[in-house]
Amino acid sequence: MKNYSIILPLFCFVFFLFGLSACEKNLPTRIDFEDYAFVGLDENGGDWKPILLSASDQIAVDAPEDVNSAAYQAELAAVKSAAATRSDAVEYWTANPILRWNEIALELAAKYNLIPGPNPDGTYTLPDPANPGKQPLFPFAHPPYTCRMLAYMSVAQFDGLITAWHYKYQYNRPAPYKVDNTIQPAYQPSDLPSYPSDGAVIAAASRDILSVMFPLEKEMLAARAEEHLASLIAAGINVQSDVDAGAHIGVEVAKIALQRAANDGMKKAQAPKPVSDSIKQAAFDRFGWQWDNLEAPVRPVGLTPLFGKVKMWNVANVEDVRPDPPPAPGTAEFQANIDELVDIADHMTEERRRIANWWQDGLGTYTPPGHWNRFAKEFMVKYKMNPLRSARTFAYMNMAIMDAGISCWDAKYYYHFPRPIQTIPGFKTIAGTPNFPSYTSGHSVFSAAAAEVLSYIFPAEAQQCNAWAEEAAISRVYGGIHYRFDAEVGLEQGRNVAQYTVEVAQKDGAQ
Amino acid sequence: MICYIRLGLSLATVLTFVGSLLAQTPSDAIMMKKREICFALIYDDGAWDEYWEGPTLRTNANVGTLSRNTVTPMFAYGIFDKLNLIAGTAYVHTEASGGQMKGASGIQDLNLALKYEFFNKQAGKGKLSLLSTLGFSTPLTNYLSDYMPFSLGFGAPEVSGRGILQYRMDNGLYVRGALAYLWRGQTEAERDYYYNNGSYYTAFMDVPNAWQYQAVAGVWLLDNSLKLEANYTGLRCTSGDDIRKYNAGQPTNKVEVGQVGFNTQYYFKKLKGLGVLAYYNQMINGRNMGKFTNIGAGVTYQFKI
Repeated sequence: MKNYSIILPLFCFVFFLFGLSACEKNLPTRIDFEDYAFVGLDENGGDWKPILLSASDQIAVDAPEDVNSAAYQAELAAVKSAAATRSDAVEYWTANPILRWNEIALELAAKYNLIPGPNPDGTYTLPDPANPGKQPLFPFAHPPYTCRMLAYMSVAQFDGLITAWHYKYQYNRPAPYKVDNTIQPAYQPSDLPSYPSDGAVIAAASRDILSVMFPLEKEMLAARAEEHLASLIAAGINVQSDVDAGAHIGVEVAKIALQRAANDGMKKAQAPKPVSDSIKQAAFDRFGWQWDNLEAPVRPVGLTPLFGKVKMWNVANVEDVRPDPPPAPGTAEFQANIDELVDIADHMTEERRRIANWWQDGLGTYTPPGHWNRFAKEFMVKYKMNPLRSARTFAYMNMAIMDAGISCWDAKYYYHFPRPIQTIPGFKTIAGTPNFPSYTSGHSVFSAAAAEVLSYIFPAEAQQCNAWAEEAAISRVYGGIHYRFDAEVGLEQGRNVAQYTVEVAQKDGAQ
Repeated sequence: MICYIRLGLSLATVLTFVGSLLAQTPSDAIMMKKREICFALIYDDGAWDEYWEGPTLRTNANVGTLSRNTVTPMFAYGIFDKLNLIAGTAYVHTEASGGQMKGASGIQDLNLALKYEFFNKQAGKGKLSLLSTLGFSTPLTNYLSDYMPFSLGFGAPEVSGRGILQYRMDNGLYVRGALAYLWRGQTEAERDYYYNNGSYYTAFMDVPNAWQYQAVAGVWLLDNSLKLEANYTGLRCTSGDDIRKYNAGQPTNKVEVGQVGFNTQYYFKKLKGLGVLAYYNQMINGRNMGKFTNIGAGVTYQFKI
């Protein structure tokens, strides 16, 4: 009988553990924030200098109907009936939907950041923008692709919101809940005029940019935008004509941004093999070294050899920001860097492994530019930024990140420097070696540029941002895929490139 | 007198699911008497050169052949005639023949199981027995589960409940079936964003729960000193995502496996308490998993305290 005395506690234990698994925490699928009151409205935002538009009234917006008009009253009635049945979408989008659209963009980057694999015969097929649904799917959202996507979306949002702010304070139409106090706004009330709707600018501009960047997601994006636009009315912050005017601005500003994107040189970035070979030969002739892809089967062309020729936002000539050459293989300085890598690999610590993984942001993730967009979002919430300030932050940060990426790729393919796995026989790494030359480190350049702009916007966070950038840079050395000089020169390069953008920001009227 | 430790299912997998190495041992129907103790040491040589990306079998020249070698020390103890305790751990070493990624090595999980015999009675020309095991495992070291295909294990606690039904004929032939449910907790990655059919802003990953099932036929020969056995073992996760195209796996993947295995055990008559075992396992179907072939051998030593 004594055996049974064991059985009872045993089964109690099972049910206890079963209970534990039932209360396992739900894992967060988005940034955790709630709607907040803006710290300021930037009433003069319509006077700020846009990036692509010549002026804040370049896109024309007609004067709205008076709030006493029958047309407006009918729209107001529609707001009331929509507000009666508010869905979860209202809570989701919040009064600063810039954050949500950035989150959507990052998720698409992670979804499409998959490197094409080899065909059975050992050849590789590139994604085809003319036929995006054919394998491998278009796009391959690698870091250069993703940083450019984010820059265009952010610039379009920013210019669109400057335009919106211009007309908001020109026409001064109050929000529905100011006109009719029976309407309870879903978000923190403010004195921001509601025509044209800033939310609608963001929805339409983001949808149109992302639909071109991720053509297979067009329907999903249209549905998200439709939900967002409807939520503006249900939230009680806009009437239909506010939304229509905002969406009009969004559509028009996206067209202008996409026109620049179509002609910025990105189409030619993934150079054909003969061009790629001649770039490699030029480096060999110049320096006596060359980077080789060591994958099996060998990839015939590195990642976007001509991304360094893409049109920059705030630097006139990419050669102005090109770093000096790296230490040549065979020199004592180079050997010291090799010795360090071997030593790190032979004595890997948990802390270094953690840092290498934390910053890896590799295939299947939102990439390093995406990681910095995430940091920016967290600061925007912390500092309670309004949508216009948020758009400005993203615009300058993502322009600087893209310029930094262009400069980094210029150095990578100009110097064409071999990776550690090529210069150290039998070297094994804990991070995957990417398909492009070593010098300078992309993580370092992207991160330093982002940190530089964020430090300008959020001076109290400068120390934190710089510490992050330095950790991101050294993480690649710990991962075994970059030399210390790749990281250190990359940090300097990123800060230098970002200064060009900060100087533009300092003169845009938003001080 | 028979030490029942043996390696059931080497779900030693690249892509995940190593954990149930020992959790499976309790799937046979043998009980040890009170105060009997048995030690075992088993070496497993596992390898694959093809893996299932989702349901599709493929190769990857940058991995080449993935090898996974495991040394498993275990012991079993008879608390009562009808209640046994089993405990063990594993040292795992992984490496790839292709590419430049570093393998991993280290101590994996602590595995504990309690096995209880509900009945074992004569029915016709044999004995019918029903047993149940309750298993628990948890990582013993800070190994990185989010390092496919090299990771040592799935890096999460597991609780398992298993039912075993066996019919053993008086002439030594036996058939057995076992069904288990495996509850898995969360594992912690060293990054706080990952994609699992959508964004996840956390370092924690849900390791899917799974069903495991086994059908066995075997025979005891030479006066119960030699066992020959064939088995089929399956594992099916109840949720999870597929490995994306030409991408690495992650602990959230929905793993499915079907494996056939053959094993033998021999107990020396002259060297009291000493036994040897050997096995061969081959995966025949799967999902999000390396197509492993495992060969293993071990020694067992049993005595009474």
